[in-house]
Order: sequence, then C-alpha cells, then structure tokens
Amino acid sequence: MIKVLRALFVGVAAIGLLATSPAAQAQDKTIKIGALFPMSGPGSYFGAQDKQGVELALEQLNKAGVNGYKFVVQYEDSSCGPLPATQAAKRLLEQFKPDVIIGEECSDATLAVMPVIEQAKVPLLNAGSSSIKVTEPGNPWTFRIMPNEVMQGVNLADNAYKRINARTAVLLFENTNAGIGNAQVFKENFTKQGGKVLAEIGFGRDVNDFTAIATRVAGLGQVDVIPTYTLEGQGLKITQALAQAGVTKGGGGNAIQIGTIWLPFGFEQKAGKAALGYIRIVQFDPTETRDLVRDFNAAFKAKYSADPTHLNAHAYDQIMLIADVVKRGGKDAQSIRDGLAATKNWPGVTGSVEFDKTNQNTKMDTVHYMETKPDMSWTSLKWN
Amino acid sequence: MTATIVFQQAINGVVLGSLYVLVALGLTLIYGVLVQINFAHADFVTLGAFAAYFFMHLVAASYILSIGVAFLVGAALGWLINASIFTPLRHKGNELLPLIATIGVSVMMQNLMLAWFGPIPYAFETQYSGQVIRFAGIFVSWQNVIIIAVSSLTIALLYAFMKFTFLGKALRAVSQDRETAGLMGINPNRLIMLTFVIASALAGMGGAMLAPVLVLTPFAGTSVIVKAFAIVIIGGFGNVEGTILAGLIVGLIESFTTQFLDPGLIDIVVFALLLLMLAIRPTGLVSERREENV
Amino acid sequence: MSDPALAQPWSNRRTMLLSRWICYVIATLLIIVLPLIFNDTYWRTNLTICAINVLLAIGLDFILGYAGQLNLGHSAFYGLGAYVSTLLIVKLGVPFWMAFVCAIIFAGLAGIFLSLFAVRLRGHYLAIASLGFAVIVHQILLNWISLTQGPLGIYGIAPPPSLVIAGVVIADFRNLTAFFYLVSGFTFLSFLLLKQLVCSPIGGTLTAIREDEVSAASLGINAAAWKVFAFGVGAAVAGAAGCFYASFVGTLVPDAFFVSESFNILAMVIVGGMGTLVGPVFGAILLTLLPEVLRGIGDLRLVVYGAALTFVVLFMPGGLAQAARVVLARLGLGSHS
Repeated sequence: MIKVLRALFVGVAAIGLLATSPAAQAQDKTIKIGALFPMSGPGSYFGAQDKQGVELALEQLNKAGVNGYKFVVQYEDSSCGPLPATQAAKRLLEQFKPDVIIGEECSDATLAVMPVIEQAKVPLLNAGSSSIKVTEPGNPWTFRIMPNEVMQGVNLADNAYKRINARTAVLLFENTNAGIGNAQVFKENFTKQGGKVLAEIGFGRDVNDFTAIATRVAGLGQVDVIPTYTLEGQGLKITQALAQAGVTKGGGGNAIQIGTIWLPFGFEQKAGKAALGYIRIVQFDPTETRDLVRDFNAAFKAKYSADPTHLNAHAYDQIMLIADVVKRGGKDAQSIRDGLAATKNWPGVTGSVEFDKTNQNTKMDTVHYMETKPDMSWTSLKWN
Repeated sequence: MTATIVFQQAINGVVLGSLYVLVALGLTLIYGVLVQINFAHADFVTLGAFAAYFFMHLVAASYILSIGVAFLVGAALGWLINASIFTPLRHKGNELLPLIATIGVSVMMQNLMLAWFGPIPYAFETQYSGQVIRFAGIFVSWQNVIIIAVSSLTIALLYAFMKFTFLGKALRAVSQDRETAGLMGINPNRLIMLTFVIASALAGMGGAMLAPVLVLTPFAGTSVIVKAFAIVIIGGFGNVEGTILAGLIVGLIESFTTQFLDPGLIDIVVFALLLLMLAIRPTGLVSERREENV
Repeated sequence: MSDPALAQPWSNRRTMLLSRWICYVIATLLIIVLPLIFNDTYWRTNLTICAINVLLAIGLDFILGYAGQLNLGHSAFYGLGAYVSTLLIVKLGVPFWMAFVCAIIFAGLAGIFLSLFAVRLRGHYLAIASLGFAVIVHQILLNWISLTQGPLGIYGIAPPPSLVIAGVVIADFRNLTAFFYLVSGFTFLSFLLLKQLVCSPIGGTLTAIREDEVSAASLGINAAAWKVFAFGVGAAVAGAAGCFYASFVGTLVPDAFFVSESFNILAMVIVGGMGTLVGPVFGAILLTLLPEVLRGIGDLRLVVYGAALTFVVLFMPGGLAQAARVVLARLGLGSHS
C-alpha cells in the first residue's frame, strides 16, 4: 500500500515538474553582460569595487527579473592596459557572446577595446574613463555615463574663478592619460577666464615623497587653488605635504586644493586635518537625500559592511541602466544599443543620464561638489 | 627664489637620500660579501612595512615593537632566501642565475602581497608622521627626523661592528678573499648567512620606518629598488661610505630637479648619472680596490 | 652553462641536419595550420603575440645565452622599435616597410650604444647599466610628450598595408590570420638566420667570449667588436618585434615597455633554456600562453610566473631544453644508443 502511494506521489511530482518546467524555461531568458574590469595588477583597486557594485545590482534585479529576463555577468580581467584589455575583450566576445559590455576603467584600455567591440556590434557602456577621446570622435556603440574630462574641467575652472574667486593656480597631476588630460582642460579654461597658472607639475606613479613638490609650490607666491589629479595613495601624501609646507588651509595657508573624482569617502579620515577645505568633484555624493541614494547606501552597507564609493555606485548604475533599457524593450545587442541612445533623464545614484549625439551623458548633476569641513565630514556644495 | 626654499629643498634632499640609503645599505652589504644582488631586497622592505602595519593594527599599537617585528620578519626572509637560493646556486659558479632567481622571487612576493593585501594603499600613521618641526621657516616632519636618526645610528653601529669586532673583521676577510678566509679558520658559509640575515633584517626594519612615508601598496618596493641599485653602483658596489654619499646625492638631485625642472625628469637625471659613472668610473665614487670584472 | 654542441644526442652530423630540417618542416606546417584550427580572434591574437614574444626571446638569447652578456634592458630596444616605426608612419607619412627597416636600424644602433658599456663592464655592472638604460628609455618615451604623446598614447595605428601584386590582393593584414603568417614568417626567418650565425664559427667566437673572455682574447678574438655585434643583432630583432607589436595592437603607450617587460623576456629565455636558441622559442610560447590559460585565477597567475622562473633556475637551469634532453635521453634517443 505504501509502495503504491509512494509511486503515486512520485508520479504526481514528476507530472507537476514537467508541467512547470516549460514555464520555467520561459523564465530563463537572460541578458548577458560582459564586464571588462582590471582584476590584477595595480588597477585591481578599481575592479574589486566595480564587482561589488555589480553584484549588489544583480542581487536586487534577479529576485524578480525584468520583463522576464534575468541578468548574467561574466568578468574578464583587462588589467588596465591596452593589450590585456583587447585580449580580454576578444575572449569575452568569442566565448561569452554578451549582449552588452561594461568597462573599462582606464582610458588607455577603453580606447583600445572600443574598435574591437564596435566591430562585434555590441554596445559598450563606460563609467570610468575620463578621456575625451572615448566619445568625442563619435562611436555609435560606445556610451559613457560619467562626465568626461572636458565637462568636469570646464565646470571646475568656472567655479574656481567665479565662486572661489581664484586667480592663480598650480596644477599637480599624475603622468597618465587621465592626469595630463584633466590638467590640460583646467588650464585652458582657467586661463581663458583670466586666471593664471603658475606651474604645472606632473609626477610619476612611483613618487612617494611630495615634500619637494610642496616646497616648490610654497615658493611660488600666492596660490589660490591647487587642482590635484591623482589617485588616493599619492593624493594622501600630497595633501599632507602641502599642509606641512603651510601652503593649504589645512596647514595654515590660504590655498585651496581642488580636484576630481578619484578620492573616495574615507580620504579625510586618513589625511587628517591636512584635508581641511578641500573642494572636489565627486561622482557620487553619499550625503544626497534622494530616496534612491539612501536606499543604495543602506543596501550596500547591509551587504558589504562598508560605505559605498563612487566606483561601487558607477558599477551599480551601469547595471541598473541596462535593466531600464531591458524594461523598455531591449533584448539583444542592437536593441540595447538603441535603448541606451534613447535614454531620457534616467535617475541613477550618481546622477541622471541622458546621452547626446556622441553618446556622452551630458547631465551636470553627475558632477557633485564636496567640501571638507573642520570636523572631517563632507558637505555638498550644491553648485550643480 | 628665496634662500629658504633652496635650503628647504636641500633638507628634503637629505631626507630623501636617507630613505634610499636605508634600502640600499642592505644591498651593498650583501654585495660586498657575497658578490650577489638580491633583486627581491626592496620587496623585503615592503613586506617589513606591511608586517609593521598589521602588527600595529592587530596586535599592539606600539610603533617601536612593530619595528622590531619588521626586523625579525626581514631576518627570517633573509635566512630563507639565502638558504634556498644563494647557497645551492653558489656551487654552480654562475653569477647570473641567482640574480634571475631573485627576480622570480620578487615577482612572486609582489603578487602574493597583492593577493593578500590588495592594491588599495594602506595609510600607516604613527604618532610622529603627522607632526612637524619648524624653525626659521623650514619644516621637517618628525618621521623623517627619525628616519635620518635611525639610519645614521645603524650606519655608525655597522661601521663599528665591521671595524672593531671579530665577526666584523671576519666578514671583511670573507669579502676580500673567501678561500683564504676559510683557511684562516673562518666559516664563510655561516658568515655569509649572517650577512644576509643582517642585511635583510635592516631592510625589514627600514620598511617599518618608511611605511608612513611610502605609498604603502605591494608595489612600494619597486618604486625604490631601481634607484637603490643606481645608488649602490654610483657609490661603489660593496662600499658603505660610497652608498651613503651616493644616496644623499641622489636625494638632492631629486629635490632640486623637482624644484627647477620637473619631477618627471628625476629618473632620467639619476640614471643618466648612473650611466655616466659606469662609463667613466665604474668602481664608484669611493672605490675599494677590488679584483673585479670591471 | 652547457655547451649546446656537446649536448647533441646525435653523433652523426648528417642525422642531425636531417632531423633539424624535419623540425623546420614541422614548424612550418604548424605555423600554417594553427590559425586555421584556432579560428577565433581571441586565440589568433594569442598566437600572434606568441610569435612576437618568440622574436624577442631569440634576440635576447643571442645576446645573453650565446655572447654571455647580462642584458636586462631588452625592453628598451622593443619600445624604441615600436615608437620609431609608429612615429615615422604617423607623423612623417613614411611607408610601412621603410619605417620597419628604420625601426630595426634604430634599435640596432641603440643596442650598439648599450654594448659600449658591455665592452667595459661585465656581470652585475652590466646588468644594472642595462636596467638603467631601460629606465631612461622608458622615461623618455613617457615624458617627451610633444614627440611620443607619452601616456596620452597613440591610437588607431594601422596594420601593414595589404600586399598587392599586379592588382591582386595577396594578403590583407587586417585579417588576423594573414598578420600571424607575416609575423611568424619573419620570426622563423630570423630564427634561421640566428641559427646559422650560432652554428657558424661566429657562434664559437661568441661562446668563447661568454665562457672566458681573457682566454678568448689570448686567442686573438676581439671581444669588444663581437659584443657590439651581438648587441646590435639582438637589439635589431627586438626592434622588429616592436614594430609588429605597434601595428598589431593598434595602440601604443609607454607602459607597455616598462622595465618589467625585460624581466618577462628574460624569463622566457631562462625557462626555455638559454644558449640553445630553440629553448627560448618554447619558453616564449609557454610563458605567453600560460597566463591566458590561467586567466581564471587572477592575480595568482603572476605568482605562478615568478615561481616558474625561480624554480627553473634552482632545479633546472637549462630550462625546457634541458628537460627535453633528459627526456630524450631516457627514451633512448641519447648518444648512448
């Protein structure tokens, strides 16, 4: 008797499974997202954080899917250099065949992979490279949600001249594509308004001690602003050295350091009072009161026990934007590309997104200004 | 260009130089006795710095103790590398192979550190790194003063050791003529091991002292190592006084190139000097007569 | 260091020549067939990079393995070749193949410059001098922005122009397979040339200098002149590799020629077996493909790289060539049969 019941049970279960699986199959539609991030070498700083943002977005999206689609991501290590990036891109395209690719971080790598991905007719969504060359020539398959070096530089120079009344500047930048590019844009626009650049000091990524540079700046007379373009490690040393040399506000001087995107939340805690008065553009303002940002902060903190940086936020936005495109009907490479191009005022945690005809996001609310207060907290300056 | 600025840059140069000397000293010691280059030397410095960092953050917040820990870590590494690489390869008599092996070790160490510690720079602050001494318009940070003081002390002690103790004399004997020293009843292998351990311990300790000054990533060593090599050659391989002199010169070149030219040109100036020295006076600024392959 | 002549397992010279020609035929067939088997762009890219690295490795082996000159600056010749050819093409509109030849000559001259240090120095001094040279070249490429664009990079570098004979397109080098044939063909010819050199009395002269310079001088050998020769040839080969690299990747940034690249090439030579010329070929192939195959383990693949270098030096300094000889001997193909 029990045996019969057992057989019946199995039979019913089997029929039940069979009945549901075609529907389950229909639920298995996926959007394949390729992720080109630096996972090894000095750039792995970026890759690790990007991955965190991506994973959080996927977790949220794949609970219910979008329009019946789930999202699958394949990561490939592009190592922040042109050759490894092109190899990673080719591997991704050949073996994973994604519908859309996100990445890279470093301008060199992005510029190198753009032609490869364009040839494969897959859209590339970038949120990390500031070089103007990524979008200026106009590639219908490359999109950038981050403000480029020109947008930021012009805006920064404008605000420096008009809002802080700066008339003299000293540029400090790392000798990379991004560092030099950003510095040049600032210089052009600042001098166009009537400002004067007293010195342009570029340094290699292997410089540890900035006392000599800070000393040189101290000897230049009255300096109003010091635009600084570098990564966190060296940025920290520069800020401290400038304070020690008595040049910046943090050290009793008058100069204000201004800079852009690369110093994450937490910089002040490491720099100490040397960072007083630092004004910088950030790509993600965690103090924003929008619900979207608040929810993101909370979810990120719950998952990773840390506050999100702009890298996490960008990666999150990239996935979410793709999801929005899918919601609007995108389902393969071509339709996703068209969907991206048609994006109007899409709200991301880093700001809104709308692309111009070169597929650059021109919304200025992605450019957030923050100032470091004496208690080492940030306040948003609300200049945009 | 005020005199203050020039004087300040001079001080900056001396500080930078002491930084480099701390790394180069171990290299020159090893070369003096072993006639070998340990390419992983700067990675010992980096690992020493990380050892100090983690000690301070995980065990006890004592900077002095963490320096001691770094010293021991360096010593252990030195023992390991000598035992596993230099000793077995010495019998093969090839001067190139150990160098290449240490290149391999260097690559391994850097990437292991990258895997363990990650690429994000660590901020190593001690009670001295934020504080600055000011006098007559000049400033020096306490940390840098400590670096100079400890470097000088170490050099003085090393000097005394080499000149006045039996072990020191034995070391010099081994570096001059290994076989004859052996005939004199000195065990060269033990002495070589001792040298290695001391030099690497110095490297580790140097790392702990440099940690607040360096941008602390697994690649911190590479930012210093090539210049350290240049210093050792400019000063004269195996020569302590030469290394110190060369280190200070390189430091001064760095700060004055930054002031008057451009920081990006530092490496070019330093290495052009290196090539010039090698072309004109390969034995170095302060040369010891050496039966050498020069 | 082992003498390749003594290590030949075949005592009969004719057999040796015959087997060598068989190997060449097999190699040619492999070169032709491989891109057809691996018919996706990812693997064809890897194959082409292998070919470029083989070219670099045999050039370095000539200097290091045969002439015994401790050269850690090979990346400089590579980079100079890439930049000279690219700048000539992009800024002065020089035709590709002329720029190619100029790159080779320029790199060769740079090699001769470095060899002047080799003439006076040996051992570790030369090692550091060559390293310093590589740093200087890299820094110049990085800082002379008005000339080289520095870190801003040069983009959109075109592949070599199509080979057209009598209006018929024989080869379009935008096609990866065609490009691979071009590079590996050139590499193969370079290998043959170098092999010819080392098997000739010149090779004996170089190894004599390598083993004992003083004794060689007593035989009337002008060590200085031969060092210059070795560096010039090895560097020229690297310059050609640089030119191929630039037109292949299409993007040129100075960091591709950082001094660590010298260590990579060195690793290929050592792991393959220095002083054998054919060893570095396999060393280059292995160390190019290994990181790709190991892609899944991220940072650890470079740890494996470093470990490979260290362990080869410690336990099998003759590299793959030595391992191959041991295997062949065990299989009874040694000279005892």
